[in-house]
Amino acid sequence: MTAGTRRTLLLIPLGLAALAPVAMLALTSVAGRWFYPDFLPGELTSESWRSLLDGNRLAGAAGTSLAVAAATAAVAVTLGLPLGRALARLNGWRRHLGAAAAFLPVAAPPIALATGLQLALLTLGLGGTYPGVTLAHAVPALGYAALYFLGVFLLLDPRVEDEARSLGATRVQIWTRVLAPMLRRPIAEALVLAFLVSWAQVPLTLLIGGGAVRTLPVEVLAFVRAGQDRYAATGALLLIVPAALAIALGLSARRSEPAPL
Amino acid sequence: MVAGRVLRASVVLLLSGCSGETKAAVDPGTLPWDAVEAHARGTSVTWRMWRGDPSINAYVDRWVAPRLRQRYGITLHTVEGQGPEIVNQLLLEKQAGAMGSADLVWINGEAFHNLREADLLYGPWAHRLPNAAFVDSASSTIQRDFEQPTDGYESPWGAVQFALIYDSARTPHPPGTIAELAAWIRRHPGRFTHDQGFTGTTFLKVLLYALNGGVATFQGGFEPERYHRGSERVWTWLDSLRPAFWRGGAAYPPGVAELHRLFANGEVDFSMSMNQNEVVTKVRQGVLPRTARPLLIRDGTIANTHYLGVPGNAANPAGAMVVANFLLSPEAQLEKLKPEVWADGSVLATPRLPPAWAGQFRALEAASHALPLDSLTKYARPEVAPEYHERLAADWRARIRAGGS
Amino acid sequence: MIADRGGRHAVPLSALLAALPTLVGVGYAVAAATGLIGDGGRGFSLDRTAHVLAEHVVWRGLFWTLGTAAAATALATAGAVLLAVTFRGTGAADRAARALAVLPMAVPHLVAAAVFVLLLGQSGFLARALYAAGIARAPDSMPALIYDPWGTGFVLALAWKELPFLSLLAFTILATRGSQLEETARSLGAAPGEVFRRVTWPMLWRGILPGVIAVFVFIAGSYEAAVLLAPSNPLPLPLLTFERYTDPDLERRPDAFVLVLVGLAISAAAVAAHEWARSRQESFEA
Repeated sequence: MTAGTRRTLLLIPLGLAALAPVAMLALTSVAGRWFYPDFLPGELTSESWRSLLDGNRLAGAAGTSLAVAAATAAVAVTLGLPLGRALARLNGWRRHLGAAAAFLPVAAPPIALATGLQLALLTLGLGGTYPGVTLAHAVPALGYAALYFLGVFLLLDPRVEDEARSLGATRVQIWTRVLAPMLRRPIAEALVLAFLVSWAQVPLTLLIGGGAVRTLPVEVLAFVRAGQDRYAATGALLLIVPAALAIALGLSARRSEPAPL
Repeated sequence: MVAGRVLRASVVLLLSGCSGETKAAVDPGTLPWDAVEAHARGTSVTWRMWRGDPSINAYVDRWVAPRLRQRYGITLHTVEGQGPEIVNQLLLEKQAGAMGSADLVWINGEAFHNLREADLLYGPWAHRLPNAAFVDSASSTIQRDFEQPTDGYESPWGAVQFALIYDSARTPHPPGTIAELAAWIRRHPGRFTHDQGFTGTTFLKVLLYALNGGVATFQGGFEPERYHRGSERVWTWLDSLRPAFWRGGAAYPPGVAELHRLFANGEVDFSMSMNQNEVVTKVRQGVLPRTARPLLIRDGTIANTHYLGVPGNAANPAGAMVVANFLLSPEAQLEKLKPEVWADGSVLATPRLPPAWAGQFRALEAASHALPLDSLTKYARPEVAPEYHERLAADWRARIRAGGS
Repeated sequence: MIADRGGRHAVPLSALLAALPTLVGVGYAVAAATGLIGDGGRGFSLDRTAHVLAEHVVWRGLFWTLGTAAAATALATAGAVLLAVTFRGTGAADRAARALAVLPMAVPHLVAAAVFVLLLGQSGFLARALYAAGIARAPDSMPALIYDPWGTGFVLALAWKELPFLSLLAFTILATRGSQLEETARSLGAAPGEVFRRVTWPMLWRGILPGVIAVFVFIAGSYEAAVLLAPSNPLPLPLLTFERYTDPDLERRPDAFVLVLVGLAISAAAVAAHEWARSRQESFEA
């Protein structure tokens, strides 16, 4: 099999795998009665989309998700950048421990993480509130961001900073004149990463939010469990589109700056 | 340390975002009703209820909520939650000493049992509602929730009855008793199953009553011996039919929604529902085919009431009581009964209603029910002690996981 | 900042803060599992832990969870490597293929699971396509791919969902450090297959290993996807945990925390493995 044939043979299932699920969701979101063995829905209805425009629960949940995810991204990157940098400057077992500590909330089963968080947040009076859920999302997001920036700072040449310092630059100047320009794209990528971690989060929102904080994935799960496929599919598409945009933006930014950081 | 300063600032900012309403909750327990309504005016009530059905949501959001605002000055916030979640949440709140996140909760059976045992409910209050006078208090299915006296700790909201669902196009002559069902399953292997959730367990209870001489065998509290002997017959019945179940009885749909999907798509020929009228709303929503019909088992099906409770740590019990009273009103119960709204049974006794209302109820009941009212009454059986439900569910799950590689 | 003064100081405060909620959760789980707090808590006792760990259903659930996570991770990794190696060029087709491979990353795994239920059910989309093609004329002539004991649908859904992430990692590795070593090998006369085996694959593997471990532990802890696709028997560990957590018998609820600790043990192993893999990758890049 030539390389060319292999490429073509792979492109077809690749395209199908990428696009078919979205197409299925789109069809389901406008399908009226649609039972086996009909390949295409017999009746169409725009009910779930119209209801969305009327400002139904999905719309509200989308707004909530946007706000929470944006706040999570801000918190995670603000704390994750210095943390990643600090970890990069450590040596030996300290770096291992620090990186492991950052990865722990990412790897832990959500119910363990949530129980710990729930007690703390309930005592602080944040249970079932938006700040509480944001804080909860920020924990794994911070873990991802810290590990990401650890990688970034490991690849950064420390000599650049040392030179600037030896030339008399203050700490502020080092950050704003030297590091910031180099970090612009990683910061953007980390914001997208942290945003997506919060955007798609389900278990933490359910357990910390206690049903009061309705994010988009939580609503979609509720519709799926209730058998309301049409509303679930509409919500699912709402979940996918902003995420796809963010990823596409991140990818194109990556391509326009060829020098690897 | 920059990171430290940023962290501290963030925490302060976020904490200040928390609305700390620490006003002492007014205990409406001793107040006359006018005072309760006055206290409730201008407040908001958070109601934790199952939000999985658009028809129910439409009734609550678009019919109940505006009227509450207009007539009582109450702003209604609905929040998703079902029995076990609600119990867990209230337990955790009690442990942490936190203020209540819900003023009103939609519960029945197991949840009520757990909440009462853990002393998490406010009460008694339900008998103080003016509209409680219309409730069908003679009905054993309303006054006792899974055989536990409600004692005024929960107010009835709606009444449903368990029914199978079949497709009149595929199954023109459906079985009518458990014995006929068994024969049907044998003749049509792979076309029947039940779900793993509440509805599936209710089906097991229907089997329990039918195979053991009726519900009377199990009334009067939970008795382990009776349960043991009774459930043995259920397991025997199921085991003898298991190879003829869908997927050979090796897999079961996780919930009733998935069972509806299997039924609608022709993988199985029966679905089931806690509400005999769910067929009406599900056909309208396009979830079930137009030829779907409800089916009562002549051995008896379980009639079940669902209720509203007020958590002990609720911030606004007065408001919750006013909402519950409105939901109990003839106007709200009639609206809820309409097939194009929710088709949920009324808990009011028609003879007790003022004549104008009584007439409307009778007309609606005669016209709308997919099943004749006298059949419903004839085959209705009450719930028994919650332990039967819990043990059946747990033992069934253990049994299907015991076998197999 | 502490770290400015060199690596002699303690691990940064914020790292510990990130780990703190999980550690509190671990502490709570240990306390609840051993009876120190919560319902059914009658003082420290290892009875409950022993009892739960002796249950057959727990081990079968654990093996199912680990097995399906391994299978899904392996599939996704193999797919990512294949795609990275096949479409590493700069032409339009290559860029299009890479974009298509990464795009599904936008789909949350909850949605991926829901889509695969609709796709792979015996009366699902695939079945209807086969019906239209005249191949399978009834739902039961279609193999059972969801709710099946092997977890086929679950494995496929999660492999599909994680493929974009691993592909992105693989693409990046090949783009940033691929050519040099491979050129050297080729110039020394190695055949394409050998170049792959001795240069490309080890380089890729070392680079994506941290990601592979992260994917594994993520799939193993997945609840929503399991709820929608998993069989009733064996029951995956996260579902079993949730079942005990919401058990109507309040006395049984602390069982859930024993299972949480089992899950945490998997996570701890994954964290250790991930850190080992990450430092290997790091030393390779240095």
